[in-house]
Amino acid sequence: MSYSLNEMEATAKRAARGAGYSWGLAEEAGKATRWLCAHGLEGEAALARLLEQGLANPADHAPQTLDGDWSGSGMLCPLTAGALVSDLAGRLQTGPIHMREVAVPIALLPFAASAARRLRSCVSVECDGLVAVTDGSDLSVPDGFPETAQHVTVRVGGSPASGCARKTRARPDPANWAVLNRFAHRTFAPATEESRLLGAGAGLSDND
Amino acid sequence: MTAQGTHIARRDPADVMRLKRLGSLHQCRLSFMRILTRRMAREGWAFSRPVFDIDGNGVGRAVYTAQGPERVYSLVAFAHDLPAELRSDRVIAEAWDATFTLFDGIPTAVDVDRLSQNVPLQEAGRVSESELSLSRANRSVRLWAHVVDALAEGRQPDPEQIDSVGYLMRTTAVYGSGKFGAADREVIADRDELQAPFQAEMLSVYLTRLFVRDLVQHMADAKGGDQAARLDPAIARRLGIGNSTGLGMAPFIVNHPVLFNNWIMAREEAIARVRGCQSATAAEIDTFLQILERSAVSVERWRSQHPIQIEKLAQLKADMETLRAHVGSDALREDAPWDRLVRWSETALSEEGQELVASLILEPYPDLVDGLSCCMADGNPGAFTIDGAMPVGEVRSLIRNSFDWALTLDWNAPENCARAWYVSEEKLEPRMGERFEEPIVDYEQPLAPARDAASAHKALEAYSDDQPVAQFLLRHPEHRHTIRRAQMSRVAPYGEIHDNTISASVLPIDMLRAKLSFFGATHFDPRSDRWVRICMYAGAPYPEDLTPDTADLWVYPEVAG
Repeated sequence: MSYSLNEMEATAKRAARGAGYSWGLAEEAGKATRWLCAHGLEGEAALARLLEQGLANPADHAPQTLDGDWSGSGMLCPLTAGALVSDLAGRLQTGPIHMREVAVPIALLPFAASAARRLRSCVSVECDGLVAVTDGSDLSVPDGFPETAQHVTVRVGGSPASGCARKTRARPDPANWAVLNRFAHRTFAPATEESRLLGAGAGLSDND
Repeated sequence: MTAQGTHIARRDPADVMRLKRLGSLHQCRLSFMRILTRRMAREGWAFSRPVFDIDGNGVGRAVYTAQGPERVYSLVAFAHDLPAELRSDRVIAEAWDATFTLFDGIPTAVDVDRLSQNVPLQEAGRVSESELSLSRANRSVRLWAHVVDALAEGRQPDPEQIDSVGYLMRTTAVYGSGKFGAADREVIADRDELQAPFQAEMLSVYLTRLFVRDLVQHMADAKGGDQAARLDPAIARRLGIGNSTGLGMAPFIVNHPVLFNNWIMAREEAIARVRGCQSATAAEIDTFLQILERSAVSVERWRSQHPIQIEKLAQLKADMETLRAHVGSDALREDAPWDRLVRWSETALSEEGQELVASLILEPYPDLVDGLSCCMADGNPGAFTIDGAMPVGEVRSLIRNSFDWALTLDWNAPENCARAWYVSEEKLEPRMGERFEEPIVDYEQPLAPARDAASAHKALEAYSDDQPVAQFLLRHPEHRHTIRRAQMSRVAPYGEIHDNTISASVLPIDMLRAKLSFFGATHFDPRSDRWVRICMYAGAPYPEDLTPDTADLWVYPEVAG
């Protein structure tokens, strides 16, 4: 089935929140998933794989420090690390950002694009030898981008060779879509008769 | 000639963005319905009804097309025979008197068949990228029966009853922007005719009103046969489309701070420009006085059963008397007349009256005001991106700009956090509940920016002014959404509500009214503290009467006599 990118973003945001990310990072997860889908990549598959790994806790999966190479006590979460790349885009002008042990590194690409837009220059993401390049709008990404990366380097430079074709719809694999919806469901309060009556404010007659 | 000169600053967000004032806003020249009708008239849009296949029980389908200079749009309507016990305005309803979608182009029979399997189901169905909206409407039971019966018996409906309701059908949701599979806003945002906010939705409602007029005549003809009367065009014109709006719209204005800012800022800029006029010509004063009289008729026709609105309406009616007496003198012939009028209104009128004055002074000045309509969409996706290099001291100052008042509030006091916003698993409907009485805290949505700002400001105390905020975000991802909003406020000074959206006394209807006033709605009629009925397009010309002369001021009823 085809979904609007708006539906994809909303579902991804809720799913990330349901998986324990902060609201701010959940917003970012929504935009990142949408961006991947708009570039013809399976953003929902990447997010589903990531959420199932349970890397939302920053104590273990955020960089321990922003100085030197970025690494966590566990695998680095690409949403947390990616958001910091976008936040610190200016730092790329003085040198690359190196990361170690990154989960689902394809999820870094939308944040690299955000950095590219802020810097008005191309940004490359090298994962264990494979290089993706974005100018903020276009993206070229090699086949076989790894499931996890031992070494990631984000740097200014490169040029997107043959950009991904843009999509205005997402066609998620039903199994991945179901994973996102399962996480998203955790954000919904169970319906009760009380909330049905009071929560939306019954008030005066609605059938007159 | 209008003498331009004095620079008047836009009003302070600390005053404008209070909930009580937002809950007193009125439509103006920048309302989305008026932007649309002005454009359609200016560009000479053509309208047709290629399909009207509805039986004597009122069941069937119809297609209405609107042809603009570059593109055509079609309302696809399905009429149903709804048992009375199923009729509900609430979002939890599962059946309606009529259901609609706005199709991008002219639908084929295959398209209409596909839509007939989905549109009547609303949230339980799917539409596609060819559809721009999804909506439904229910009859006003009282007025529908009265109009059908009267016309069927060969007479016109009673004007008193027409005015007491104002519409034959009311929409209970108009979904757009990618909902339930429809095209994303981004697909249409670059089209001139849909660049301003909610133009596809406003077009769908305009065409819905046309369909409803045709349907009621069709039903009267079916019932009355040869003796049925034609609905008097003057009566038809007074009929709008009602709308019931629930809590879902309140989170919208919190979740789209840049977009909401652009609406408020466009109106505030328009007000500042008009206040900056050094003098007003006789023609400009005359326009204002005429519109004021017509506005008074609209206020007289405004009815509500809700105690809060009854009181506000009584104040507004008194305000109208005070205002008419004031401008009846030579007040508008002095220099800087509109600035003087606004300043006077702040001392003499209620907030309802003050905001009515602020909207009405824009009417004589289309050249100063109407061009601002192109600034009301959100074309700044970059505002989402956080600048992590920003020093903590600057972030602190941005938070204080919008939320200084919130930093000293005791956010643990029950009255200050009595409510919590959540999303129910039932139709994913936004709701507001009692934090201390219902099991909803684990599901709370981030719809209390003031509380969250106070909390982030407290956490920032451990950081020095010159540290980059990225250091803070690394340790405190829970404040990320708040830091984003604070940075957005640089481009969106009117993006934050300067009030507590979770207090024991919060009235969500204030947030609903703020949004609906920009649609161009009139006759706000709260049905509780969290849903409201309104009227849209009452007085608007139908396509056969739509010309540049009729396209704009229809929102103000003609003065009798």
